[in-house]
Amino acid sequence: MCGAHAAVRSLIGEMVQQYTHPTIVDMEAGLEHLSRGTTRYVDTMLIIVEPYYRSMETGARMHTLGQELGIRQVYTVANKSRSPEDDRALQQFCQQRDMRLMATIPEDETIQKADRAGIAPLDYDASGVAVARIAALADTLKNGSS
Amino acid sequence: MKIAIAGKGGSGKTTVAGTLARLLARSDHQGVLAIDADSNPNLALTLGLSREAAGTLAPLPREILHRETALSGAVETRLSRSPDEVVSQYGVSTPDGVTLLLMGRVDHAAAG
Repeated sequence: MCGAHAAVRSLIGEMVQQYTHPTIVDMEAGLEHLSRGTTRYVDTMLIIVEPYYRSMETGARMHTLGQELGIRQVYTVANKSRSPEDDRALQQFCQQRDMRLMATIPEDETIQKADRAGIAPLDYDASGVAVARIAALADTLKNGSS
Repeated sequence: MKIAIAGKGGSGKTTVAGTLARLLARSDHQGVLAIDADSNPNLALTLGLSREAAGTLAPLPREILHRETALSGAVETRLSRSPDEVVSQYGVSTPDGVTLLLMGRVDHAAAG
């Protein structure tokens, strides 16, 4: 990463802290970038996991890290669940690791179709099941999760 | 409400982040800020911009930085203007009223 970008990135925390409106940060992919600087002032972290072991394991490490960073609310959101077995595996894993599962979003082919079409999922088909679950997640967050 | 969305690449984190930001903006009727901190940024598309528009976006420039030397001699990097100014000057408007800030692409082989 070039110096200027790294330095600009280091100010995400300050931006998040001082800006008064709701703020969503799409983090750098992966575990190694969850630094204090970026996440210092968020009140909520959503960790997106897929229903396979390595993804859930990475999610568990992110969960630990998020708590160590002092983020008040750390939640797991399961994505691309393909079956009731996937749902159960995700629930079981989260229970064992003391992770709070806030939402489960099923595999939804409209997301892939939207991606291929180069259109946002919300504009491609707002009636898709994945979008509906994200809408429910938005309601949960608005109503103050605990 | 300050939310960080984390996950492995390909987990769908950007789909969740962008769609969530838009739905919150639609229902709250107040400005929602979305920060794309991924070094392979594609939040713009999920927020409703076209591929063409998304491709021309510029990341935040280093002019928003200000280095100051503390009494201890440590050099600290701070914002050179208020977040409101940064957002109004560099924020990109998107269809549902979410304002997007782009942290920049990492093009170097030694990224990270």
